[in-house]
Amino acid sequence: MSDAPKVLELRDVAVHFGGRGGFLSSPGPVVKAVNGVDLEIGRAETVALVGESGCGKSTLSNTIVGLQAPVSGSVRVSGEEVVGADKKKLNDIRRKVQMIFQDPALSLDPRSTVGATIAEPLIVRGVAKGRELKEHVATLLQQVGLRPEFADRYPHQFSGGQRQRVVIARALALEPDLVICDEPVSALDVSVRAQILNLLVALQKRTGVSYLFVSHDLGVVRHICDRVVVMYLGRFVEMADRDTFFANPKHPYTKALMSAVPEADPVVQRSKERIILGGELPSPANIPSGCAFHTRCPLATEICSKERPELTSRPDGARVACHHA
Amino acid sequence: MNAVANPLLSVDRLTIEIGGANVVDDISFTVAPGKVMALVGESGCGKSLTSYAMLGLLPPAAKRTGGRIMLESTDLGAMSERQLRKARGKDISIIFQEPSASLDPLTTVGSQIAEAYRVHQGASRTEAYEKARQMLVDVGIPDPTRRLDQYPFELSGGMCQRIMISIALINGPRLLVADEPTTALDVTIQAQILDLMKKLVSERGTAIVLITHDMGVVADIADEVAVMYAGRIAEIAPVHALFAAPKHPYTALLLASVPKLDHSPKADLATIEGTVPTPSEFGVGCRFADRCPLVTDKCRSEQPPLFQSGESGHRSACWHIDRMAEIRGVAA
Ligand SMILES: Nc1ncnc2c1ncn2[C@@H]1O[C@H](COP(=O)(O)OP(=O)(O)OP(=O)(O)O)[C@@H](O)[C@H]1O
Ligand SMILES: Nc1ncnc2c1ncn2[C@@H]1O[C@H](COP(=O)(O)OP(=O)(O)OP(=O)(O)O)[C@@H](O)[C@H]1O
Ligand code: SF4
Ligand SMILES: [Mg+2]
Ligand SMILES: [Mg+2]
Repeated sequence: MSDAPKVLELRDVAVHFGGRGGFLSSPGPVVKAVNGVDLEIGRAETVALVGESGCGKSTLSNTIVGLQAPVSGSVRVSGEEVVGADKKKLNDIRRKVQMIFQDPALSLDPRSTVGATIAEPLIVRGVAKGRELKEHVATLLQQVGLRPEFADRYPHQFSGGQRQRVVIARALALEPDLVICDEPVSALDVSVRAQILNLLVALQKRTGVSYLFVSHDLGVVRHICDRVVVMYLGRFVEMADRDTFFANPKHPYTKALMSAVPEADPVVQRSKERIILGGELPSPANIPSGCAFHTRCPLATEICSKERPELTSRPDGARVACHHA
Repeated sequence: MNAVANPLLSVDRLTIEIGGANVVDDISFTVAPGKVMALVGESGCGKSLTSYAMLGLLPPAAKRTGGRIMLESTDLGAMSERQLRKARGKDISIIFQEPSASLDPLTTVGSQIAEAYRVHQGASRTEAYEKARQMLVDVGIPDPTRRLDQYPFELSGGMCQRIMISIALINGPRLLVADEPTTALDVTIQAQILDLMKKLVSERGTAIVLITHDMGVVADIADEVAVMYAGRIAEIAPVHALFAAPKHPYTALLLASVPKLDHSPKADLATIEGTVPTPSEFGVGCRFADRCPLVTDKCRSEQPPLFQSGESGHRSACWHIDRMAEIRGVAA
C-alpha cells in the first residue's frame, strides 16, 4: 500500500506574520516564522519536531490544522489539501487531525464535566447521541485509563496527569489520522509524564494514529519518536530517523542542542563534551543572511553568511542543511 | 547529623502548617559553602514553601510551627523584618519560580539591577551601572549596553528570567535559593545559566539551594539531593549515591520513569500508580504507602524515620530499605 496517501504532506510551506500594517500604523517588519518546510508523515509514525522557543514549531502546527494560513506551499492531510479549502472541506479535514497542547488546565472548560467535554466533538459531528453517545464517551475514558464514572466530574477534581488524559480522550474521539502533540508532557510531573507517554504509545499500537510530537526533551523524543526534525528560525536544518539522529547528529546546531540537554545520570552528564552556544537566538523578524545559524555557529566561515545551505541527503539517510557538516 | 563540617545553612526540623496540615513536615538538611543542594519532588510537595521560609517570605496562610533555620550562627527565624530585609539580596538571594511578577514594568532593567546593588553597597550610580552591565554579560545577554535601557516588556521571557538572576547575583550572596530558575528557559540558555551557577560555586564559594523537577539538572549540578514527597524528605543523599543506588521506592520509581539512553524505544516506562495525597489526606503512616509496591501494614500505621543507609550521608525514610531490589524488578 505504498501509494496510499501520506497522513501528512507538507510542500515548501511558508508562514509569515505582519508586514502590512493597519490603516494608521506603519507597516511592521515581516516575521518569517516558517520557511521552505517539506515533511511527510506516514501511518502509525511519530515524528518529533525540536528547536528553541520561537523557531516556529507552534506556527507550523497551527498551519497543519488550518488555524493559520501559509503564505505559500501546500499542506495535505490524508491526501486532502488544507490550503484554500472551503469551510466544509476544512471541517472534514479537521476531523482527521487533532491537537493536544502543553497545559491541560488551559485546554479544558472548567464549567463542563469531562464527559460533556469529550462528547462535544461527537455531538457537533453528529457521530452519536443519547445512549450511544454515553457509551462512546465511556469507551474513550477507558481507553485513556480513566474510569467511565469520571464522566460526571469537573476538571478541577482531577490531577494534571488525569486532565491531560481527558484532553487526549477528546482528541481521539473522532478517530483522527494525525494528532499534533505540542509539548504534551512538559507541564506534568516526571512520574505522570511516563504514564502519558506509555498511553500515547499504546494508543498508536492499537489505532495506527500518527503523531507530530513537539518537544524540547530529547530523552522523551528518543523514547517515543521514529524520526526527528530539528528546526532553527523557521527552517528545518536536520532530519533523520531516530537511531541515525542520536548515533550521529550532524548539524552543529543539533550537536549544541544535544550537548545542552542534561542527561539524568551524573556520571554521563559530567563527562559529556559541552558546546556552549554564544549569542542569542536572532529575531525571526530579522533572520541572518546565508545560513541563519552562522551568528552562533562554531564552524561558520565566510560562505555561511552568504549562501543559504539547502537540505542535502547523506549516505546514512539523514538530511542536513550545513556547508560544513 | 550531616557529614558537612561547617554548614553555611542549616535547616533543622522545619515544619510549616497550612489549614491545620503540615505541608512541610520535619525537614532537615545542611548546605556547606561552595555546595549545591537540590530539592526535588512532585508538584505540591513543599519545595517552594521550604525555600520561602529561608528568606522569611512565607505566604500569609502558612505558619512556621517548628524548627530552626540558621545561616552560620544567625537564626534567621529570630530576625526582625528589618534585619531580614537587609540580609535578603545581600547574604541570601532568591530567584523565584515565576519571574514575570517580580520585575517592575515601569522601570528599565538597568535601573532595577543597579538599584539592587546600590541599596546594599552604597555605590555610585555610574559604578552600579557598570556592575549591572557586567552582570548581563555574565548571564549571557548579548548587547548589554542597549539592554540596560530597555523595559521588561521589550525582553523575551528567557531574558527577563536572566535579569532576575542578575539581580539575585549582583551582590555576590553567600547563599542563593533558586526555585526552578531554568524551567522556563531553552536548553541552550539553561546550559549557560547552569555553568554560571557552577562558576559562582567554585570561584566564590556560594552555596546554592536549587529547586527543580528535572533530574538532568540535578545530575548536572547538585552535590547533594533531598527528594521530597508530600511535605517530607523521603531520601537525602550525595548525588552519585542517589542515582547509582536509590534507597527509597519513590526515588527508585522516579528515576526509572525517565527515559534512558539504553532504553528500547516505545517500550513501557516505569510509572507510579495513583496520585500524591493532598494535605488533608495525610495519614499516620508513610505518605507514599498508597502508591508503594513494597507497602506492608507497618507502613500504613507508622511513619518511617530517616534511616542511615549505605555510604555516609545517605538516608531514607522507608521501613523496607532492604527490599529495594524488588523495586528494581518493578522498574525494569
Ligand atoms: N500571531 C502572530 N503574530 C506575529 N508573530 C507571531 C504570531 N505567532 C507567532 N509569531 C512569531 O513567530 C515566531 C514563531 O513562533 P512559534 O510560536 O511558532 O514558536 P515556537 O517554536 O512554537 O516557540 P515555543 O517553543 O516558545 O512554543 C516567533 O517569533 C513568534 O513571535
Ligand atoms: N499560599 C498558599 N495557600 C494555601 N496553600 C498553599 C499556599 N502555598 C502553597 N500551598 C500548599 O502547600 C503545599 C506545598 O506547596 P509548594 O508551593 O511548596 O509546592 P512545590 O513543591 O513548590 O510545588 P511545585 O513543584 O508545583 O512548585 C501544596 O499543597 C500547596 O497547595
Ligand atoms: S515505608 Fe513502606 S510504603 Fe513507605 S516507601 Fe517504604 S515500603 Fe513504601
Ligand atoms: Mg510553541
Ligand atoms: Mg514550587
